[in-house]
Amino acid sequence: MPLVNFSNLDFDQIKTSLKDYLKANSNFTDYDFEGSNLSTIIDVLAYNTYITSYNTNMVTNEVFIDSATLRQNVVSLARNVGYLPRSRKASKANISFNIDVNNTQAASITLKAGICVTTSSRFASTNFTFIVPSDITVPVGSDGFAKFSNIDVYQGTWITQAFSVSSRLPNQKFILSNPGIDTDLLNVNVRESETSTVQQKYTLSDSLFEVTSKSTIYYIKEIDDERYEILFGDGVFGKKLEEPNYITISYPVCAGPEADNIDKFRFSGSLVDNNGIVINNGISLITTNTASYGGKDIEPTESIKKYATQIYSSQNRAVTAADYEAIVPTLYPETESVSAFGGEVLTPPAYGKVFISVKPNNGVYLSGDLKENLVNNLKKHSVVGIVPEIVDLKYLYVETDVNAYYNTDIAPSSSYIRSLIIENIQNYSNSKSLNSFGARFKYSKFQKIVDDSHTSITSNITTVTMRRDLEPVLNSFTEYEICYGNRFHVRSELGYNIKSSGFKVSGISDTVYFGDIPNSDLKTGTIFLFTLNSPTEPVILKQSIGTIDYVKGEIVLNPINIISTSIVKSIPLIEISVSPYSNDVIGYQDLYLQLDPSSSIVSTLADNISSGNDVSGTNYNVSSSYTNGTLIRS
Amino acid sequence: MPVQRVSKEFKDISASFQINPLTNDLIVIKNTNAIARSIRNLIFTQKGERPFEPNLGSGVYGILFENVDKQSASVIRDEIIEVLENYEPRIDIIEVLVKPNYEASAMDVTLQYEIVGINVPAQELTLALEPTR
Repeated sequence: MPLVNFSNLDFDQIKTSLKDYLKANSNFTDYDFEGSNLSTIIDVLAYNTYITSYNTNMVTNEVFIDSATLRQNVVSLARNVGYLPRSRKASKANISFNIDVNNTQAASITLKAGICVTTSSRFASTNFTFIVPSDITVPVGSDGFAKFSNIDVYQGTWITQAFSVSSRLPNQKFILSNPGIDTDLLNVNVRESETSTVQQKYTLSDSLFEVTSKSTIYYIKEIDDERYEILFGDGVFGKKLEEPNYITISYPVCAGPEADNIDKFRFSGSLVDNNGIVINNGISLITTNTASYGGKDIEPTESIKKYATQIYSSQNRAVTAADYEAIVPTLYPETESVSAFGGEVLTPPAYGKVFISVKPNNGVYLSGDLKENLVNNLKKHSVVGIVPEIVDLKYLYVETDVNAYYNTDIAPSSSYIRSLIIENIQNYSNSKSLNSFGARFKYSKFQKIVDDSHTSITSNITTVTMRRDLEPVLNSFTEYEICYGNRFHVRSELGYNIKSSGFKVSGISDTVYFGDIPNSDLKTGTIFLFTLNSPTEPVILKQSIGTIDYVKGEIVLNPINIISTSIVKSIPLIEISVSPYSNDVIGYQDLYLQLDPSSSIVSTLADNISSGNDVSGTNYNVSSSYTNGTLIRS
Repeated sequence: MPVQRVSKEFKDISASFQINPLTNDLIVIKNTNAIARSIRNLIFTQKGERPFEPNLGSGVYGILFENVDKQSASVIRDEIIEVLENYEPRIDIIEVLVKPNYEASAMDVTLQYEIVGINVPAQELTLALEPTR
C-alpha cells in the first residue's frame, strides 16, 4: 500500500498513516504498542513529518497576500504591487499663543522645530508632548507682541537620527530605529559633509514619474517590527548620495489615537529671537483652537490585504467608482467610509462627474479646505475630463421606539433594564455594520439585541421610522428634494403619513408642518402645509406645495420660502420622518445610514404573565406594533 | 470455556540497530524479548518525552532522586504498575517488587508477569534503577 496522504497536519493522523503502511508492508507487528522500539521510531518519523508539513504549510501561506499572517510578510507582498501601508498618525491640535517682547530688541521670534507644548496633567494617564515639525517665525507687531496664531502641533517625541554615507558599505541601509513613526512628518535633510552648514531638503516620492537623476527625493519602505527604511536615488532615478554626505532625519514617534481629545496644554517649546537670544519670559497661556484629533494606529494587516489589491487593480488610476473608493482612503487617512458613483446614474444625469461622499472618522462633514485638497489630489489620479466632486453626506437616520417586556421577578429594576437596552442600542449604532455606505438596519438583529440585553426581557415590540434632516436655505424661494431611498409605508389613505418638525414660511404667521395626502393609486401623493389648532385638529393652510413618491421614497417640494425652523442644531433643520415599508432600512448610494439613539425611545413594561402576577393576562399592557398617531414630530 | 485468542508473533526492531550477519538485515527481537524491551522502554520513558503523548511514561526517573527508602520504593511500584496497565496490554502483571538498595543508592525491581495470547510460562524481569545525571 503506498503512503498516499501527504496533506495531513495532524500528528495522530500522520502516525496512523505510517502504521497503516507498516501493516501492509512489513513483518513487524509491534507498532501498535507504545512501548515498542518500533513505536518510538514511528513517533520520530511522524513528528518529523508533522514539523515539515507545518513549516511547508506556513511558508506557503506566507507567500500569498490572502493567507499571510505575519505583518512583515503582508507588507513585503504589498510592496510588490507598489503599496506602502499607512504609518501611525500623530494626533493633531491647533493652538495659539502670544509672546510679549516689549522689553527686548527682537524684530521676529522663531519657534524651533521639536517639542512645543505638553499636556497639562491628565487623570490616570500619561502626559503627551506635542511638537512642531519645522521652525515657525513670526514678526513682532507694533504692540510688542509676537502672535503665534493657529499653529498645528503634532503629538509625539521628536527624534533626529543622523547617518554618514559611506562608500565602504556597499549595502548601507538607512533604517529608522523606532516604531510608531508618523511618516507624513518625516524631515529628511542631506548635507555635503558632517561639517557643512548648507543642507538640502529631500522629499518623499512614491513613483518614478517626473523623477530625474538630479531629483532630491527619497523613498520609504516598511521593514520588520513596524520600522521604516529610507531609500535614496541611484543616480538614474533620484540623486545618488556619495561619501561624505551626511543625512539627518527627524520624525515624531507618536502614540496614535491615545493622544486624541486633549485640549489643555502648557508651553514647553524653544523660542529664539532674530538676534539668537533665547526667550523664556512673556509667554502667554495656550489657547486651544482645536482639541487634538486624527491620531491613528498603523494600518492593520487586514486593511493592507484589502487595499493593496484594490490599489493594484486600479493601477493608481481612478477610472471606475471602485477605484475612487480605493484611492480616497490613501489620500485622506481619516476616512471612515467612502462611497463613489458616476453622475450618469443620477436623475437627471450629470455626465463627466464623479460624486464622492466621505465620512470622516471624527465628525460628520469634510471641511471646505479638505474637500478642495482632496479633489486636487484626486485629479492626479483621475481620467482627463472627469471632474471629481466631494458631496456632503446625506444622513438617513433610523429611529426606533422600543417597548421591552420584562419579567419583574428576575429584573433588578426597570431603570436598570432600560439602561442596559440603551447601552446595547448605543453599541449597535456605533458598529461597523451600520456606519457605512450600503449599510442595512436589520430589524430582526436589532430586536435580538434588545431581547438579549438581559435574561429578564421576555419580548419587545419595536417600531421603526426613517428620518432625514432638511437644511433649508432661509429667506429664499428654494426647491427641495429629499430622498430616503426606501419605500414609504402608507398608513392611511387620509394622509398624514409623514411627520415633520415645525417651521415658519413667509406669509403665514403660524408654525407650520408638512403633511401628505396619497392619490388614489397610493403610490404617489401631494404635500401640503398645515398648522395645529390642537394636537388632533389640523388646519390645512396651503395645498399642493410638492409631491411625494411613496414607492421611490422621495419628497419633492416646489419653491418655498422658509424663514425659520423650530429645531436649530448649530444650523436650522426641519426633521421629516416616515415609516418605512420594510423594517429593514437600507442606505442606498450616497445615503449614510445611522441609527440615532438620541431620538430613539426605550420603554420597559412589566410582563405580568411571565412573572406570574397576572397569569390570565387580564391586565396585560398591550403595545402597538405601529407608530403613534400624532400628526407632527414631537 | 472462553475462546482463547492466539496472536501471531510479536516482532519488534532492535534498538541497537545492529545488522544480523546472516540475513544482513536489522536484528529482530521477538515475543518475550520484544515485550521485555517494551516494558523497559515504558518504565524509562519520562512523561512528556514522547511528542503528543503527554501521559505516556512513568515518573520513575524523578523519584530516583528522592531518598532511597521504602516510601520511594512504594511510589516507584505504583508508577510502574500504572504505566504498564495503561500502555502494555500484552501482559498481565502478577507481582511488582521494588526493594531499596541502600548501598548502591538504587532500587531493585523484580517484575513478574504473564504474556497474554502466547503460550509461554510467566516471565520475570529484574531491573536495577539508579539515578543518572
